[in-house]
Amino acid sequence: MSTVKPLTYLIVMLCLCACETVQPWERGTLAKPEMQWQTDPMEISLQAQINASKEASSGGMGAAGGGCGCN
Amino acid sequence: MAIRPAEKHSALLALTSSALLLPAYQAARADAPPEFVELGVRYSKYEEDNTQGSKTFGGSSQRYEVDAAQFHLLAPVADNWAVAVDVQWEDMSGASPWFVGESLDGGPKVIMSGASIEDTRTEVSVTTRYYYERGNAGLNYVRSDEDDYDSNAVAVDGSFNSADGMTTYSAAISYSDDNIEPTQGSVPTNTLKADKDISSVFLGVSRIVSKNAIVRFGLSYTYRDGFLTDPYKFHDKRPGERNEWAVNTGYRQYFPWPNGALQADYRYFDDDWGVASHTLNLAWHQNLGHSTQVIPFLRYYSQGEADFFANIADLDQRYFADDYRLSSFGAVSAGLRVRYEMGNWAITAVGERYETDKSWGVYSGEESPALVDYWRYSFGLDYIFK
Repeated sequence: MSTVKPLTYLIVMLCLCACETVQPWERGTLAKPEMQWQTDPMEISLQAQINASKEASSGGMGAAGGGCGCN
Repeated sequence: MAIRPAEKHSALLALTSSALLLPAYQAARADAPPEFVELGVRYSKYEEDNTQGSKTFGGSSQRYEVDAAQFHLLAPVADNWAVAVDVQWEDMSGASPWFVGESLDGGPKVIMSGASIEDTRTEVSVTTRYYYERGNAGLNYVRSDEDDYDSNAVAVDGSFNSADGMTTYSAAISYSDDNIEPTQGSVPTNTLKADKDISSVFLGVSRIVSKNAIVRFGLSYTYRDGFLTDPYKFHDKRPGERNEWAVNTGYRQYFPWPNGALQADYRYFDDDWGVASHTLNLAWHQNLGHSTQVIPFLRYYSQGEADFFANIADLDQRYFADDYRLSSFGAVSAGLRVRYEMGNWAITAVGERYETDKSWGVYSGEESPALVDYWRYSFGLDYIFK
């Protein structure tokens, strides 16, 4: 974790500093489906479940929620 | 569940099996409820490769196959309210690793569960979401049911936009109460009845970078408490607590030419069992005209083994496990998603290949003989009432 923290903070700070002000009427592109964090809820949900049942890590994009007996 | 008890020893558990039950329709910058009712159905086929004969006592063996059906409903229910209902059914069959033993040449070989497992799972998720002037808040309940495992989870989340709308702050908290009651048979299980709790919290921020780009950053902490051992694994005894941290970043960049977008996400995961991992997701979302989207995607994953993992488990230790999911390995998956819209209808097809290899990982450790490769296909149909 210690090696990743500084890098992550650096990326975020760079992004925050580099942002240009985008007016509300200029945000049409940002509303496109491909610009969303989750473009397909069913696909995301299934992929996350499969990965979590085959790997030792999970989560990171929200609160963890419940478990299942998936092997 | 229509299975012989002795055969079911892995239709279950996994300390690793958290279903990531996010609110089902948490949008990046959703400041308004959906305008129309949306319906979706999806069928998926998941198929693991057979184990390699050279790594298995008893020769090549079939592993898991899962058929999954999903249903999704999203509906506005008032000016500022929406509700989402998600249902998922799964039917699984096959065999899974039972334990790892030492072969005559001294190398580890896996012993599979042998006969076919049959199990089903039903998950129902209901989310209500309220939209206010500068954000939204959701309440989510999820129930997951299997014959030997059930889970009830509640989550609350919210997001809030800055005054200029350039930054969105989000937070979520969840709690899950899970119960395990392994099916009894000729194979001894590690418990007769047990439970575990999962508590989790998430903080995130997303920021508009330009007219064509947005970035996000998130931190999550998850605490698992209770019976975290796999009840059906022969050599398995794990700590009763687990603390997990994850850092996630994401980036979306739209390119006017060729009318496509790059989607990139990275996660670093760390826990107090000694597991750490890197996950990188990349996708290219290509629009072809107004009705077709072609989305190739690539995922890289690498994890380091748990402190108590060993191929040949030392049963004298306080904790031990030979579960391949706790070993060091690397995984690459690649796939293609295609979506075609016809009026109010949309068809989606997805194909994905997932492969693992010890040498692809960045962490040292023993190579498990039970690593899994699989194919996954999905076909879906969506309809919007407008």
